[in-house]
Amino acid sequence: MRWGMAIELKRCVGCYECVLACKAEHFLPPDIFWNRVLIGESGKYPAVTKLIYTVRCNHCADPACVKVCPTGATEQREDGIVWVDEDKCVGCRYCMVACPYQMRSMYDDGKAQYFPGQELTEHEKMGRELYPHALGVVQKCVFCKERIDSGMALGLTPGVDREATPACVINCPTKAIHFGDLDDPNSEINRVIKERHGHPFHPEFDTDPSIHYVD
Amino acid sequence: MIQMKPYEFMVKYTQQKDWIDGRGNFIAFAFFLGGISGGLYMAAAYFDNLLGMFVAWLLALAMGLSYMIHLSKPLRFWRMFMKPGTSWIARGFIFIMLFIGLTTIQLILSQWVPGATTAITVFMVLAGIFAFAQSIYTGFAVSYVSAIKIWNSAIVPVLFVTCGLTGGLAILLAIMMAGDHAQLIALENIIRVVLIALAIIIGVYLWNTTYSSTAAKDAVKRLIGGSLAPLFWIGVFLFGIVIPIVISITTYFVGEVSSGLLTTAIVSEIIGGLALRFAILKAGVYTPLLPAE
Repeated sequence: MRWGMAIELKRCVGCYECVLACKAEHFLPPDIFWNRVLIGESGKYPAVTKLIYTVRCNHCADPACVKVCPTGATEQREDGIVWVDEDKCVGCRYCMVACPYQMRSMYDDGKAQYFPGQELTEHEKMGRELYPHALGVVQKCVFCKERIDSGMALGLTPGVDREATPACVINCPTKAIHFGDLDDPNSEINRVIKERHGHPFHPEFDTDPSIHYVD
Repeated sequence: MIQMKPYEFMVKYTQQKDWIDGRGNFIAFAFFLGGISGGLYMAAAYFDNLLGMFVAWLLALAMGLSYMIHLSKPLRFWRMFMKPGTSWIARGFIFIMLFIGLTTIQLILSQWVPGATTAITVFMVLAGIFAFAQSIYTGFAVSYVSAIKIWNSAIVPVLFVTCGLTGGLAILLAIMMAGDHAQLIALENIIRVVLIALAIIIGVYLWNTTYSSTAAKDAVKRLIGGSLAPLFWIGVFLFGIVIPIVISITTYFVGEVSSGLLTTAIVSEIIGGLALRFAILKAGVYTPLLPAE
């Protein structure tokens, strides 16, 4: 089993809903992003193409971050999900330096709040109880592994059942993001990748990403 | 420092900041201290200078301290021994600890049991091996990062070792200045050769890196003609190469120069070594994920 995503670039409108869904799901503090929307342009007027890519940790099969971590805090599960054990991380930031996609964040400002000078919002207060983030350790997208694990325990299928699927996927208003098992030849995600010639983002980085993009 | 708008992140060349901003400064400093500590120990062992070896030991302790300050969870430092199989930081941490341990034993033996020559030699050789390892691993830790093209060069470890050696030799020169004149001349001869080697290695590194990728070319441009030019030309080129080489060549032709001039060369060389580590770490940029225009 290897979890992965297929993202349809033509469907993505750059609405940032995936970013907000992730922020809300994990109660992410200000300035911490587990996913981002990159917007660029290619070509010259009048033949200009706007490029919109929703990006997050690629959960690479050959991840640079796992190799460089001196403590073993960055681990890869059998299902391919790369995550950080916050009890083991020493905060050396080698993984952040080594990631060619720059999809890791260091949470080192515990006082940061969304509305400085005012009280914490109810959402922030709730987040500090439900999803406390350890200070001084590295964070990243975990493919909502807690949703996957609890969903599978209930017999649900990630990528098919909403409760077992990552927040960014289920909240995408244009259904541009597909989630599923890359090792299952009959999965929806594999069908999309095969039929639409999916390709990983910057394969020259040589890390074998689990996220594929289709035009 | 490159000023970027949030929406330019990884759409333009994005500078690495994790190992240069805030606490990140301390890892650059640790790399510098590790280099000169290793270089000084090797040079001091060659000249059998006990004070030099002791200063190298102190510098290795300072390196460890700088490392600790860099970590945001320093009390978990022991976990850094866990993955020497793939992580250069873990390997380096082991090298530092072994170097400190072996040097401690060797210094104790040399000071209080000078008759135990075999044991002293064994520990000196072992400590020398780990002094070299401690010096070169900083280069491997940097060059292993394939995401940053200016770092991802086989020349970086050689550059860091040579730079560490020049710094170590400079400190040894300061220690030996009032000592035996024949040894001082031998040391100055070594310094001349190593300084010229360093200048050549820096030149080859920059030239070679320029052709490795567009990101590396952009980084080199930034180093020699952009925002990092003052650090490179004044810190690395002037202090690290020109001043020490001019003084070193002067000593060759004039014979004996004033201790003030030698002190200038020593301080200048140390500043140059520090500037080199900062310049290379600051020059690291990531290849953009999207074309910006």
